[in-house]
Amino acid sequence: MGLLLFLLGACKKDASKDQYEVNQVQLYPSIGAKTKNKTQEQYVSILYTNLFQRALSGNKLVEINDCLESIGDKELGREVLISNFMNDPNVVLPSDSSMRSNPDVFTEFTYERFFVRKPSEAEKTWFRNFIEANPQLSAEMIYFAFALSNEYLYY
Amino acid sequence: MNRRKFIRNAGIAGIAGAGAFAVPYILPSGRLFAATGRQLAGHVVYVLFAGGVRQQESILQRYLDDSQGFPWAGNIMYNMFNGQSPTNKIVFGTDQGNGATGGTPIPQILSQTLETQGTVFREVQAQSAGHFGGLNNLLQGSQVTTQGLKQKPINPTIFEYLRRHGGFPASKVWFVGNGIGNGIPLLNYSNHPNYGAQYGANFFAPTITFGNLGFEHLSNAKVYHPENELDPMYQMKYFLDQSFANVGRGGDSLGNTEDEKQDIKAFMRSTYDRVAQNAIPFPTITENSDAVNIGFACEIMRWFKPAITVVNLSAVDGCHSDFTGYLRALHRADHAVGHLWNYIQTQVPEMAGDTVMIASPECGRNLNHNPIKDVNDWYAYDHSDDNASRVFTVMAGPGVPQNLSIGSEANPIGFTSDNVPTIGEILGVKNEIMSAGFLQPQSVSLFDRI
Repeated sequence: MGLLLFLLGACKKDASKDQYEVNQVQLYPSIGAKTKNKTQEQYVSILYTNLFQRALSGNKLVEINDCLESIGDKELGREVLISNFMNDPNVVLPSDSSMRSNPDVFTEFTYERFFVRKPSEAEKTWFRNFIEANPQLSAEMIYFAFALSNEYLYY
Repeated sequence: MNRRKFIRNAGIAGIAGAGAFAVPYILPSGRLFAATGRQLAGHVVYVLFAGGVRQQESILQRYLDDSQGFPWAGNIMYNMFNGQSPTNKIVFGTDQGNGATGGTPIPQILSQTLETQGTVFREVQAQSAGHFGGLNNLLQGSQVTTQGLKQKPINPTIFEYLRRHGGFPASKVWFVGNGIGNGIPLLNYSNHPNYGAQYGANFFAPTITFGNLGFEHLSNAKVYHPENELDPMYQMKYFLDQSFANVGRGGDSLGNTEDEKQDIKAFMRSTYDRVAQNAIPFPTITENSDAVNIGFACEIMRWFKPAITVVNLSAVDGCHSDFTGYLRALHRADHAVGHLWNYIQTQVPEMAGDTVMIASPECGRNLNHNPIKDVNDWYAYDHSDDNASRVFTVMAGPGVPQNLSIGSEANPIGFTSDNVPTIGEILGVKNEIMSAGFLQPQSVSLFDRI
């Protein structure tokens, strides 16, 4: 009996060897969870970071926000601002060849970059078809459309 | 949709229905039926003048006589009103010439004053003693007690009445603000559920949009080809918006069509070029933001020929601490208004002879001064008492009786809220405005007070 108790006490669970066989998955919010409007400052700041891959200074943020405030049609103001950003040599855009070589990957990457979510299969198909049907389409034009979209105004 | 398409579609509908029924056709503007009124003129220029103007120094022409205890009266607004300018203690002019600061009055621009060319309501009641409330009143035609600062107008503005009931496209309805402070950009449309952004006015604050900041951040816009580039870009945007439509919507849209947006962007490019070339039609004396604003308002009229252009001026508000500066700003505001009227008549043929101009202060200023003295030892004036609700309205143009003066200090006639139905009458939507039910009680068109 004493031996049995000794042997049972010697049994110890090795927690470090737990294996549940679950892959690491990056979770994204769904489109339906985006219910909050970005402020104009948030929009400008996020847009700049997205397009230039670096943060916008506080001073510049105030200046750009004032510029947008001075235009009544906000969508038009955003369009003008994006057009200015696209004319900046420091804007970071994927190449058109990489977009055309794998439209699905490009579409997924763009949805994640702008909308912080995965595209649905329908969205992926639409963009694949659109890219293939429009040989003059560039990555810049697609980025422009995403930056100007309504979903980009929400988080 | 243009008129031809509308008629064609209406004809098809009529044939299909074999004349057995009539369906109201919803115009792109959202209107169901044509405006009921006849237009007196094709265009209105409405000057929100100019940041709290005391009756005593403006229409009453008392200069220093009713403010600083000096017996020197005179008219320092001789483009707007008849009357001799002061002969003593001249401080409101420019600094060049005789060496004295402000000693050279700015030459008169108009050969005939607006008073001679039109009608002056000499004693009008402003319904607010504050700027934002006063501006709201001038644009809404009402004074809403729950109207807060930094809040969109609660009741519909004249812009929305015109666009909803008159069917004017967005690019024909403009508000030119003299800055982005004091809630000015909020005033281009209300948050009223039956009106709102879709009927709002296009707005620029040109000292920002086309000033140093605008040049740095907006002037280098890439020009995309309308068919090869913009079309697919918009197609993609609309697809993305469609996917998101069940969840949210975009920012409030003014309803500029794609063509109108292209036109506004072309205007912006042109304006940046013209600023660089020093070709903006500024008034001769451009010493403050009011004058600059008037120059850009002229530029907007030259390009768009708007049905309504509302221009805000506010430099006279320096009167809180600088009476001399106030006199100078008042003189320059008159100069700017003279320039604006002259520019329309001589440089914009589509608007010449077909434009009514209306100018009213949003509020007056106090009867008694505050304790602050300026460089000339003259007292300053705030705006909070009964005297601050005393203002004037001047209007001129087709359909406006000439050389007519209505009301007096002892006999006030009219309210600042009258301006909204007055503009409605000029542009053919008075009945719709009156029946909408949002005007200040007793407000009527000024034509009905003549």
